[in-house]
Amino acid sequence: MFGLGQDDRRLLWQRMRAPVLASAALLGLLGVNVLLGATRPFAGVWLVEIAVATAMVLVVLLVSMEVRHEPPLVRLFAGIGFFWVAILFAMTLVDYLTRAA
Amino acid sequence: MSAPGTSEVGVRLAGHFATVEQQRRAAVLGMWAWLLTELLLFAGLFLTVLVLRLLHPEAVQEAARHLKFWIGATNTVVLIASSLTMSGAIQLSRLGWQRGMVRCMLATAALGTLFLALKGYEYHADYEEHLMPFLGDRPYALDRLPASRLFINLYYAATGLHALHLFTGIAILLVLTRQASRPGFLAAHQNRIEIYGLYWHFIDLIWIMAFPVLYVLNR
Repeated sequence: MFGLGQDDRRLLWQRMRAPVLASAALLGLLGVNVLLGATRPFAGVWLVEIAVATAMVLVVLLVSMEVRHEPPLVRLFAGIGFFWVAILFAMTLVDYLTRAA
Repeated sequence: MSAPGTSEVGVRLAGHFATVEQQRRAAVLGMWAWLLTELLLFAGLFLTVLVLRLLHPEAVQEAARHLKFWIGATNTVVLIASSLTMSGAIQLSRLGWQRGMVRCMLATAALGTLFLALKGYEYHADYEEHLMPFLGDRPYALDRLPASRLFINLYYAATGLHALHLFTGIAILLVLTRQASRPGFLAAHQNRIEIYGLYWHFIDLIWIMAFPVLYVLNR
């Protein structure tokens, strides 16, 4: 394959294993959301869709962007960024979701 | 036997850093600082979409049903594939396999271009279906639902901004690929591939949020 010897192929797979598995996981999760979006099987399906999208974001962050291998300062920095976004969403949506009809 | 096109790998120390490790970490942290400002920009748009959905459920649902769900899903697959090729470029750069790395970078740019082509087709289909309320000289298909204009306009703002980021990303990637194909690049600037990879994965991450928020949740 591509002029690689057996040792090189083994080394390549060793390095590409995590990205390949992450892509497979992302495609699987996307499949779930597409299926749910196309069929709308029950009323509260949006909760599952948000959970699936959150799982996809975590896979990209931890595996593709390699946050899990970064030093603590970068992990803290990335985590706080998403934490601020979570506060923004939570406080705004709590307001709108609890308003009287 | 080592892989064909193998190069020495390293980072040339810039004068204002004490060590190469410090230089690498500063570059990663700097990139993250910028990416987080971008995250807040897109988060504001996505949050506004969700608020609109709560305030005007019927209008937003009707407008969202006119979006090209399957093109959006296909584009998500395309970007996930591009993230895999970008990860390939990063891993090969670490191994010093320059030729393979360049091929992975070109594949990433090609997949990004495919995404933009599909997005362009989607916009064209929207134009044909009179789903561009900001065009004053064309009738708007959902005129009976005034609040749907807000959602559709936000859809164009969010996807247009994402497409602009992707277009810029492809342009930078092609320039970087040209630089990276020269002899000695990996010996002096290997971390540029990793830093750029963060940006590409982030574009993927933003679309992974945009697709459910715009296309899936509101159906």
